Amino acid sequence: MRMFVTIGQFALFCVAVTRATLTHRPPVAASLQAAYEIGIRSLPILVIISTFVGTNLALQGYNAFKPLGGQSLVGMFVALAGVREMAPIMVAAMVAAKAGTEMASQIAVMRIQEQIDALEVMAVNPYWYLVTPRFAGILLVLPALTIISVFTLLLSSYSVSVFQLGLNGDEFLSHIQQTMSMMDFVFTSVKSIAFGAIICMVSCFYGFYSSPGATGVGAATNASVVVSAVLCSSLNYVLSELLYG
Amino acid sequence: MTALAQLGRFGVFAAQVLWRMATPPWEISEAARHTWTVTVRCFLPVIAVVFPFGMVMALQGLQIFNLFGAQRLLSSLVSVAVFRELSPVLASVLVAAQGGSAFAAELGAMRIREEIDATVVMGIDAIRVHVVPRVIATLIAAPILNLVGSLSGICGGFVVAVYVKGEPAGIYWANLWELTAPSDIIGGAFKATIFGLLIGLIACYQGYYTTGGAAGVGRAVNATVVVGITTFIVVNYFLTSALFGAIG
Repeated sequence: MRMFVTIGQFALFCVAVTRATLTHRPPVAASLQAAYEIGIRSLPILVIISTFVGTNLALQGYNAFKPLGGQSLVGMFVALAGVREMAPIMVAAMVAAKAGTEMASQIAVMRIQEQIDALEVMAVNPYWYLVTPRFAGILLVLPALTIISVFTLLLSSYSVSVFQLGLNGDEFLSHIQQTMSMMDFVFTSVKSIAFGAIICMVSCFYGFYSSPGATGVGAATNASVVVSAVLCSSLNYVLSELLYG
Repeated sequence: MTALAQLGRFGVFAAQVLWRMATPPWEISEAARHTWTVTVRCFLPVIAVVFPFGMVMALQGLQIFNLFGAQRLLSSLVSVAVFRELSPVLASVLVAAQGGSAFAAELGAMRIREEIDATVVMGIDAIRVHVVPRVIATLIAAPILNLVGSLSGICGGFVVAVYVKGEPAGIYWANLWELTAPSDIIGGAFKATIFGLLIGLIACYQGYYTTGGAAGVGRAVNATVVVGITTFIVVNYFLTSALFGAIG
């Protein structure tokens, strides 16, 4: 029962944000600031994560194809599993964990210190002031982060394939070239934009309706990352089916 | 505080926790209560995340196998990937996001409300009472959730292969164990256990040393999820290399 109330509240929240975004002038400077913060502060972790996801993809691809005698197909496996699926969803998970939880806890602290009420008293629309710049920022920066993580992932899986597994590097690269096309970059960007929208709306929503006290901030931060992860991975299947199916 | 000092403090904290885990008295009922809470709270999220991943594996796997006409091997690929890699990693991500961050928030709130100081003043070992049961909880919950995740991932692959793409159901089940050995299942569970231990230690460390009010609790939760996931994904590479021995 409470779930339906939350879903309804979330829908109303989205409507309020959309209306506030369309009726006010766009907050260009604040959006760029948000994009910078989300992008720069998530980048180091993303590089680490995608490096090690790439190494593991190569290891597991090698193990999976070895019984078939298809070790040389690791490149194709990395291109299909890594570039199309793992990179967008890993970036989404890490941005949800890093930037999403930050948004949720910042806004929740503002809520419990009554700063959001203060904004309304000053006739500043809190949705426009707090949510719109973050939304624009995450949409600007997430495709770029995803492309960076795709290249990191390819580089690290190439290194593992060649130096640890002793595969032929040229063969690896030619498999990647055969499997990937420019459309893969477009599709991963589409995916990451969709994930970014979900992460931002969910995190800001939980922050906005945080319950009072330190426990409330903790609970809001907690819920935002779990709900974003669940929604993104379900949406990932739908998008994969639509784009590649 | 510099990163090196943080690391040293974490090392001392981890050693204290591990020592108390090994020596009696144990807070068994507390540990059981926390284990139950984490398992229940992560149960649905784990299914909701790993199930679509199994579906995606089947979708993309069929594209590869269609090239050789080896569609029958799809379920073998899905089960290897799920048991060895996807389920331990994703279940642990969820344990960090749901269980670990809840522990960090609880301990952080206790710290800033001075409940931990009160425990110490009463002559009670705060780490033994508050931290050890929580670390044990993630340690036990992670492999259980890993099993739940593995099963739901395989079912997700089944749904796409059979109902969406029209592969025969019998062939899916028959080839499920073609490439998967019991050692894969044990290896996956072992990885999940190590990840669970790391998550528990990191979450409790972040919560235990929270400073700076309600905003500090938010920061502790944030740091738990980020540091926890980064650490075990790095550890994962070394564990995978060691367990499933892939040297060319």
